[in-house]
Amino acid sequence: MLSIRMFEGFKFKQRKTPIHRLDPRPKFMIALTIFALSLIFANVMVFLLLFLAQLPLVCISRSVRRWLGSIKGGAILAAMIFVMNFLTGSTLVFSATMTLRFLVLVSAFSLFFMTTSPDDLGLALEKARVPYTLSFTFTMAVRLVPTIALEAQTIIDAQRSRGLEMERGNLIQRIRNYIPILIPLIVSAIRRSTELAEALESRAFGVTKDRESLVELRMKLSDYATVIIALAVLAIGIYVQLLITLPSLDTGIKMPALWKF
Amino acid sequence: MEIVSARNLTFTYAGSRRPAIEGVNFSVRQGEFVVLTGPSGCGKTTLARCLNALIPSFYQGELSGSLSVLNKDISNSSTSELSRKVGFVFQNPENQLFSLSVERDVAFGPENLGLPREETKRRVDWAMRLTGIDGLREAAPYELSGGQQQRAAIASVLAMRPEIMVLDEPTSFLDPLSASQILEAIANLRQEIGITIVLIEHRLDLASKYANRILIMDKGRIILEGPPSEVYSEEVRLMGKPLLLNTSTACSNRRKVKLLLMVYLRRRLR
Ligand SMILES: Nc1ncnc2c1ncn2[C@@H]1O[C@H](COP(=O)(O)OP(=O)(O)OP(=O)(O)O)[C@@H](O)[C@H]1O
Ligand SMILES: [Mg+2]
Repeated sequence: MLSIRMFEGFKFKQRKTPIHRLDPRPKFMIALTIFALSLIFANVMVFLLLFLAQLPLVCISRSVRRWLGSIKGGAILAAMIFVMNFLTGSTLVFSATMTLRFLVLVSAFSLFFMTTSPDDLGLALEKARVPYTLSFTFTMAVRLVPTIALEAQTIIDAQRSRGLEMERGNLIQRIRNYIPILIPLIVSAIRRSTELAEALESRAFGVTKDRESLVELRMKLSDYATVIIALAVLAIGIYVQLLITLPSLDTGIKMPALWKF
Repeated sequence: MEIVSARNLTFTYAGSRRPAIEGVNFSVRQGEFVVLTGPSGCGKTTLARCLNALIPSFYQGELSGSLSVLNKDISNSSTSELSRKVGFVFQNPENQLFSLSVERDVAFGPENLGLPREETKRRVDWAMRLTGIDGLREAAPYELSGGQQQRAAIASVLAMRPEIMVLDEPTSFLDPLSASQILEAIANLRQEIGITIVLIEHRLDLASKYANRILIMDKGRIILEGPPSEVYSEEVRLMGKPLLLNTSTACSNRRKVKLLLMVYLRRRLR
């Protein structure tokens, strides 16, 4: 169940590092900048650069192992992207570019979620004038993903120990194999949501519209600096894309079109 | 002064045929420590849900009789409004903590009440000190032990400065040592701030030494009621002396004696 373990790489963990301390807004700017750059470019060198540029950030945030975990989790999909591209007649280099683009995005968002507390994310949403009930729902969902993933894992292990073989049979049989996992998972999710709702009611949720949260987000000098750097990188990226032709490294190697008629 | 009083309280959950509680009469005085116990499924949680108006505002069903809590009738008050006065600590600590740090969780209630930041801060400090989790401000709930989680849950409720705190089996997910520590912490709260406590608890051996009064429920009714010494005393068990204050119950005397024995034996065996 690689897919479930993969959530680990998106789960926030409290650490005392400069990256964790950054305000969520500039941190999201970094992720968005990387996202924008990977949309406007299609050059393998750029993606390599974008990928390598994240490594120091990952190291500073002391999350190398979990980051590797999410890259590993993404690797299967990445491999699929590579194979599909190559088989459908793209060049070797282009297929690699698409694969790297995917990994760059996985890495960027994994870094963001690993180092940003859902609570802070909620506060940032509130600052962006998202209604409180909505931002609360969002943070709650982000918070519950790892919990439910863990629960799913427990149920899978329990059903396995009772003799359920997940990887047996044809496709339909395999889908059927998930039923004994899904049903307890849904039952427990319903139960959990009732209990959460009860507890929310009992803690005066929604009594007043003007709530003042204990922690207030405030942009520090380092946050402003981050915003400026991110914008600068984005500007340089756009400039390069528009005005400079990057050398194409494409060697033109393709899958021999043997099986195509 | 009576701050809770139930008259003939009966509730049937929607879709269920038998009432979960039936003809319940009881009252709680200010500053009292009341322990509510009884076999599984006898309606303890249902009764607790009435105390902060989760019944009838959250759970659908048919309510009759009356229950007033701090001069408010539960049938026309909402849980979130009542939460200023009645705090509720649930069984499972995991599903009553919402934030990723204990401090923010304790702040959640006061924030919802719309208190100014300074006041919220003061209350958070106060509640965390009283429950002995001062050193865990930044900790995430999932990093805590069950006992610490339950303390955090109690602190979160306390920060809303309720007058009554209802706790539904707060120790059932805990080992015996943490359980007795939590019960002691609850008893200390009452000593220090005079809060009224209604505690649902199976571990009578641990809880009874703090209680002023024990209520025993069975099949939706309160069948026994009295101070712990009376409910327990061996003489009562042997002679069947009438401490059965609730004479209106339809419960046979044999069953009463059986339950009493059960309670007594449970205490002896531990
Ligand atoms: N949400 C609900 N909907 C329908 N019926 C319910 C609901 N909650 C409880 N009941 C029923 O009401 C009765 C009393 O349940 P309640 O949970 O109050 O018992 P309890 O004394 O708290 O038991 P336990 O010690 O196991 O927690 C039970 O028969 C139960 O099946
Ligand atoms: Mg119960």
